[in-house]
Amino acid sequence: MNKDKIFKLAKGFRGRAKNCIRIARERVEKALQYSYRDRRNKKRDMRSLWIERINAGTRLHGVNYGNFMHGLMKENIQLNRKVLSELAMHEPYSFKALVNVSRTAFPGNNAVPKKEGLSSIL
Amino acid sequence: MATTIPTSAFIATPHRCSTGRSSAIWVQKAQFSASSSSLGVSLSLKRPSLRLVSVRCEANGAGMPVIPAQERWMYEESEINGPDIWNKTWYPKAADHVNTEKTWYIVDASDKILGRMASTIANYIRGKNLATYTPSVDMGAYVIVINAEKVAVSGQKRSQKLYRRHSGRPGGMKIETFDQLQKRIPERIVEHAVRGMLPKGRLGRTLFTHLKVYKGSEHPHQAQKPIPLPIRDKRIQFVKK
Repeated sequence: MNKDKIFKLAKGFRGRAKNCIRIARERVEKALQYSYRDRRNKKRDMRSLWIERINAGTRLHGVNYGNFMHGLMKENIQLNRKVLSELAMHEPYSFKALVNVSRTAFPGNNAVPKKEGLSSIL
Repeated sequence: MATTIPTSAFIATPHRCSTGRSSAIWVQKAQFSASSSSLGVSLSLKRPSLRLVSVRCEANGAGMPVIPAQERWMYEESEINGPDIWNKTWYPKAADHVNTEKTWYIVDASDKILGRMASTIANYIRGKNLATYTPSVDMGAYVIVINAEKVAVSGQKRSQKLYRRHSGRPGGMKIETFDQLQKRIPERIVEHAVRGMLPKGRLGRTLFTHLKVYKGSEHPHQAQKPIPLPIRDKRIQFVKK
């Protein structure tokens, strides 16, 4: 790549890295490596952000993320985490309905199934 | 809130449910519209940049202007239909985290286990209890701690837990026990605990300024009308054996 292209990519860099070709070339190479790596990392980061938001949203209703997702999987609800996090933020009543669906499907560790009749003695 | 019903109808269609039960759930949902108290304080619906339902063709003042079909090719999708909220992950605008509109919480620290209390405080300050949590933005609340000198620790920590600091010069390590520091500056104990649980960095330092610790039971923030901090930890109360 010739110097003009390097300087075009080096806009906004700190200090001599935007002006002097030797330093700018190194920094631009590094920047391109980072952007390659981060195009892959971005997908991971976004997913973990969605999971954190869903976790916070479900805990408002007393259910944690793990039990919530397990309940959704049991009901074969195939909404992905991106949509679930947007629902938790923008559509609180719909999200509460989803949490209830999940809770009926999978009550979690707290709900001990009651044994009836003979098995309660055993 | 009749406006939420059409949006839930929109959601029902792409969601594939194998059981017949789910249709009954959507009918039940109509009853939820009255019960907003169960959703917690965080879901205040007065965020200016989010609207629950955007009626796109009706421009109410500075809304979306109606673009005729022949000219649609000249404009971008966001100009024609409004911002895409379903395919782009929401990022808070400046109006979504104004400091003056944040909730204030208050905790009475007397006979509460230090670390467990600090952990819930740090979660609320960081905003991790809200569905709108964003790691790069300060979305959390303010927390006031009163009676900081009565905070409790279990075991022998009262005489054995050490607080160290270093002046930077050789031989400048200063060590104090929990007891001594509590007599000297009791607020520092809670501050040290919470600061260790907040992120370290520029944002973490501003988050730390949202923690207000006081020695007695008086605090100067009555005007902010703080609400009691909801603590879900069952083992936070110090039990004397």
